[in-house]
Amino acid sequence: MVEEKIICIGCPLGCETNLKIDDQGEVIKITGYKCKEGRQYVLEEYRSPVRVLTATVLTQSSARPLFPVRSNRPLLKTQLKEAAKALAGVKVKPPIRVGQTILSNLMNTGVDVIATDDLTY
Amino acid sequence: MKFSDVDVAVIGSGPAGMAAAIKAKEEGAEHVLILERQEQLGGLLHQCVHNGFGLLYFGQDLTGPEYACRFVEKVRDLGIEVLLETMVTQISVDRKLTAVNSREGPIHLQPKSIVLAMGCRERSRGQLSIPGTRPAGIFTAGTAQRLVNVEGFIPGKKVVILGSGDIGMIMARRLSLEGVEVKAVVEILPYVGGLIRNEVQCLHDFDIPLLLEHTVTQIHGEQRVEAVTLAKVDKNKRPVDGTEQNIECDTLLLSVGLIPENELSRMAGVDLDPLAGGPVVDERRETNIPGIFAGGNVVHVHDLVDDVSWEAEIAGAWAARLPQKGDLEKKGKTILRPGRNIRSIVPQTISDQSDVTFYIRVKEMEEKVRLRIGDIYHRAFRVVKPSEMIKVDLLKKELKRLKERTTELDVECEKGE
Repeated sequence: MVEEKIICIGCPLGCETNLKIDDQGEVIKITGYKCKEGRQYVLEEYRSPVRVLTATVLTQSSARPLFPVRSNRPLLKTQLKEAAKALAGVKVKPPIRVGQTILSNLMNTGVDVIATDDLTY
Repeated sequence: MKFSDVDVAVIGSGPAGMAAAIKAKEEGAEHVLILERQEQLGGLLHQCVHNGFGLLYFGQDLTGPEYACRFVEKVRDLGIEVLLETMVTQISVDRKLTAVNSREGPIHLQPKSIVLAMGCRERSRGQLSIPGTRPAGIFTAGTAQRLVNVEGFIPGKKVVILGSGDIGMIMARRLSLEGVEVKAVVEILPYVGGLIRNEVQCLHDFDIPLLLEHTVTQIHGEQRVEAVTLAKVDKNKRPVDGTEQNIECDTLLLSVGLIPENELSRMAGVDLDPLAGGPVVDERRETNIPGIFAGGNVVHVHDLVDDVSWEAEIAGAWAARLPQKGDLEKKGKTILRPGRNIRSIVPQTISDQSDVTFYIRVKEMEEKVRLRIGDIYHRAFRVVKPSEMIKVDLLKKELKRLKERTTELDVECEKGE
């Protein structure tokens, strides 16, 4: 059996919770949380912690060298660094509208990378 | 547009300025003009490419530029007039406004009302008095953010971040993702300066060491930063002898607080609140100068952009009413007085007993307290922290309980639940 500490980010309290995990990786017990939502968050954060990736890509624009993008859905936390690397070679061409897909199916995750700004020229 | 008939002039086009201008227009002001010194609308939002914006305002998790885009579209649709690359240089007590740009030269305006929405700027090395040399490689976190996200430069290869404000932590993550080694985030207080979600998602996620109750005591290097000396601090924030350690790095980022930008406000004779850092305002966000309103980070530094926009909308709405209805009558004036463990309260005064949202910041982290506003409001908190602003809504009917001619109201954190 192992223990893991996870800080809940649901509210300013920032409860430090303790998870007891058995040899199969199943959560046996959670302590330290103060509300139902917190318990749920901690459980999900243990099972599959996900984050939205935000980054910039290069442009062929005369107005600005960089352009902001993000993943349209959260990625697994463990994929973030690799995903950021995958964006390093991307170069976009204006015009681009906010929300437009820049790169589909990033690293075969089914997640798309979308524009988060307008780029007119 | 003739510059002579501006009803509402808004200075700044960040999340406050655009929200104020939109609201003013929606409330019926005919000529609303935004004056922006940058080449585009949006202020600082363009360099904030991370998410976490608009969760409350739009019910969606947006990035800074996405948040800006929504307001920019509305500014366009409503026909709000915009002067870009235009710097306001002066406002006088009688609301005469002088601006300058390279097309029109000097511009003189006499708007019927003005909304101050200049936002805030970062505290810099000069305000910290860190001893040592003056090499290249020392940036505020926001400057680094602009370099990395907008200009396309990485400020260094090995970075130490002083201060655990939100921008500093967000830059720790951003730089890590760009392949930079972030050696440590150093915080003089015993707790993190920014939001918990940033501590978890920016520092823990990337295994970046957080050194609480530590500070930078020396900067080394002649041409370029070569190292910094860190030391543990005691309860009075004084470095403890014998705890020094050198960390090799080529860059030091400072994320040590924001200051509302109020040079123009001062020129106009607007009274400033030394605690909040910005103009003293009433619940309409009107300053002591009739017809000059203020909203957003120019008044006090918010945690969330959503509150910046909401607060500026109040200013915009009342600024729009002035040109239409002339002098706005106010009933009485009650001053809110910060008491035990209260750093600041906005609005600082209330005048006409309409619904009010108070933004309250505490001085120190404290558990199990009861927040009191005079004898009309109290609420128990399990924990209060300086990094998390407290919002209190008081309805008109609750304020009715204020005794006639109450001129002062004490706000305090009482120990115990």
